[in-house]
Amino acid sequence: MSFCREGSSREGSYRERRDPVNRGPQPVAIVTGASGGIGAATSRQLSLKGYRVAVLFFQSSSAAHALAAEVDGRAYQADVADPTAMADVVTRVEAELGPIAVAISNAGTYEEVALEDVTDAQWRRTIRIHLGGGFHLARAVVPGMRARRRGSIVFVASELALLGSTHASPYVAAKSALIGLARSLARELAPEIRVNVVAPGPVDTPLLPDRDRRPEYVSSIPLGRIGSPDEIAAAIVHVAEATWTTGAVYSPSGGLVIQ
Amino acid sequence: MTDDSPVDRPVALVTGAGGGLGSAIVTRLASAGWQVAPSSHGHGSLSADLAVPTQARSLVARVIEQYGRLDLVVANHAAMAMATVDEHPVDDWWRIVDTNLSGSFHLAQAGATHLRRTHGSIIFVSSEWGVTGWPKASAYASSKAGLIGLTRALAKELAPDIRVNAIAPGIIDTEQLRVDAGAQGISLAEMKAHYAAVAPLQRIATREEISASVAFLASPDAAFYTGQVLHPNGGTTLGS
Repeated sequence: MSFCREGSSREGSYRERRDPVNRGPQPVAIVTGASGGIGAATSRQLSLKGYRVAVLFFQSSSAAHALAAEVDGRAYQADVADPTAMADVVTRVEAELGPIAVAISNAGTYEEVALEDVTDAQWRRTIRIHLGGGFHLARAVVPGMRARRRGSIVFVASELALLGSTHASPYVAAKSALIGLARSLARELAPEIRVNVVAPGPVDTPLLPDRDRRPEYVSSIPLGRIGSPDEIAAAIVHVAEATWTTGAVYSPSGGLVIQ
Repeated sequence: MTDDSPVDRPVALVTGAGGGLGSAIVTRLASAGWQVAPSSHGHGSLSADLAVPTQARSLVARVIEQYGRLDLVVANHAAMAMATVDEHPVDDWWRIVDTNLSGSFHLAQAGATHLRRTHGSIIFVSSEWGVTGWPKASAYASSKAGLIGLTRALAKELAPDIRVNAIAPGIIDTEQLRVDAGAQGISLAEMKAHYAAVAPLQRIATREEISASVAFLASPDAAFYTGQVLHPNGGTTLGS
């Protein structure tokens, strides 16, 4: 949170940043899984950068609405695994807030499960949320971005996609597939639209399993600690605005990914 | 392996066995002494639509019933279609992912119990495009990238009982190339020249070169390999 406070004092309050008279038309950012953790931190930082943020949530309605009020954005409910729902919500966001300049696919779940115990429904749901979350969002925002010849898309993956894991094969496969999607779209949509990936290591959010908070694990991270949501959000916002970067996989992970 | 009586020889399940690469893998493994159980969608007693989880499980059960053991799974089947991300019909996009990625997962899941018994291995056939991404191939490239993550995850999870590796081949000289050329309205020769031009080795691969990588990963020579991806691609991933 300290990053946000620093940003606030340096760059002014959310509302000052958004004065349409002084700033011209505000760029719009859409963030999925925005009600908490990395998504909420990203929404706050985008807002400080001058974006009007569409705060997408699936279940956490009150948290999403509180955040939307805080950042002077707007909250929208949608299931990222549902292509029709995502197309509809993008249409609503563009009608109500304006053309989307930045799209962040961040929504996700994390479940630990042994290979033999993965149910068909669990596998399907994991792939539909993580890979589908990126695919359905990209599919919905691309036509408008292409028409405007401008846009930036960031997928939030995981360092586990690069390193594997002993206990979350559906999650790892889905996040790894998301990297393949980003690399394909980076080539397909250049030069108008950039597509990048942020693959965070273990971050202090409710999704983080207890095993990743154990001292013996944390001490195995070269930088000696887990990350904060603000540190990941800073990476996401940076990559979203990095105008000569596309198809990149950036892994803020305390040194867990050194390759 | 060739000294063993047929009933004791190790058994390899190869999916997509009717395709260009698949048939070369079958031949190569057979010549290395494997009993090969070839599965091909729509053909023979081991036919399976691997987009359907129950069919992946039924395929493994039929192999056990017919051959009595399982030592190697080569997940080589694939569906493919090209379109831009917003023009690709959403159901078809998911059919490709469900066949290539989910089908391979369900095959590995069903095979794991038997492979633990034999200390066997799994080989996923990914693709150069899964490593680099490819325009108008987001479904295929996503599915093949997912297989690389799955390789790393299952290699860790199933060690030390089962080795899990992958290959990510470049463009191969198969009948599929003629189909792809037709779809793009160019000749087969133009198609080959196009792909050869971007590879440092200045050509596309033969089926035998790629099946050799599979045979190596399956062999005792690769007993210390797990979680690895071989990239027989003529150097394309070095950049053009």
